[in-house]
Amino acid sequence: MKESTIMKIHYGTALAAVGLVAVHILMRLTTGFADSLEYENVLANYRSIPYVVMLELILILLSVHGFNGLRVILLELKQGRVYEKAVSYGCVVAMIGLIGYGSRTIIMTNIGMV
Amino acid sequence: MTEDEHREGIKGMVNPGRYGIERVAYLLMRLSGLGLLGYFIAHIYETSNILRGRMGWDEFLALTQTTEGHIFLALVIGMCVFHTGNGIRIMLGHGGVGVGKPARPDYPYEPASQNYRHKIGIYSSILLAAVAMMYGLAVMFGE
Repeated sequence: MKESTIMKIHYGTALAAVGLVAVHILMRLTTGFADSLEYENVLANYRSIPYVVMLELILILLSVHGFNGLRVILLELKQGRVYEKAVSYGCVVAMIGLIGYGSRTIIMTNIGMV
Repeated sequence: MTEDEHREGIKGMVNPGRYGIERVAYLLMRLSGLGLLGYFIAHIYETSNILRGRMGWDEFLALTQTTEGHIFLALVIGMCVFHTGNGIRIMLGHGGVGVGKPARPDYPYEPASQNYRHKIGIYSSILLAAVAMMYGLAVMFGE
């Protein structure tokens, strides 16, 4: 993929994530910060379909943005054909792993496996 | 940049003292990005504790509901706000907003893109991050 396309994805994921993370944080303030973290409240959040969709979107957007940012930093430090490929593929694998792990929590809690 | 500066590697990358506030912003952007990625991974792990039931959740939550936990979270808020504010400035700059018009390079060759608009953007991001951290601390310690 062209670097210019990757940067557009980087900026797009950033802008989308800012809006969704703002909603995610505001949800913590609606019932008071400590109360919103009570087990029942968190479980109720995970059982709400719109909220779960938003969490999944945040997970994907921030994973893509975060690991691409890490890739950019690592490529600024050192260059080389093998190194660049290792960094790029390593970041993609880590990103997929994190999305998979986070999705597991979201799905299992949503369908009541807690 | 001289050849010697190229050879500095990571030391050259993290040296904030040589190129003004733009280099400080460059460094803070990378540090806050790495910090936020670390926090994000930890947060995904932290929230997975809900699968251990009420006891598992409460146990892990107790670790974060401490003075140190709140200070750490305030730092995360600061990093998040700075990264967002400065990120928007960079996006606007890459889109050609606020970088000035192309002109003939004359002595003392000041780069048009490093102008007061972008400097204000950097200082505003730092100020906003500080305010958000204070608000976050007030919310967390106020309860």
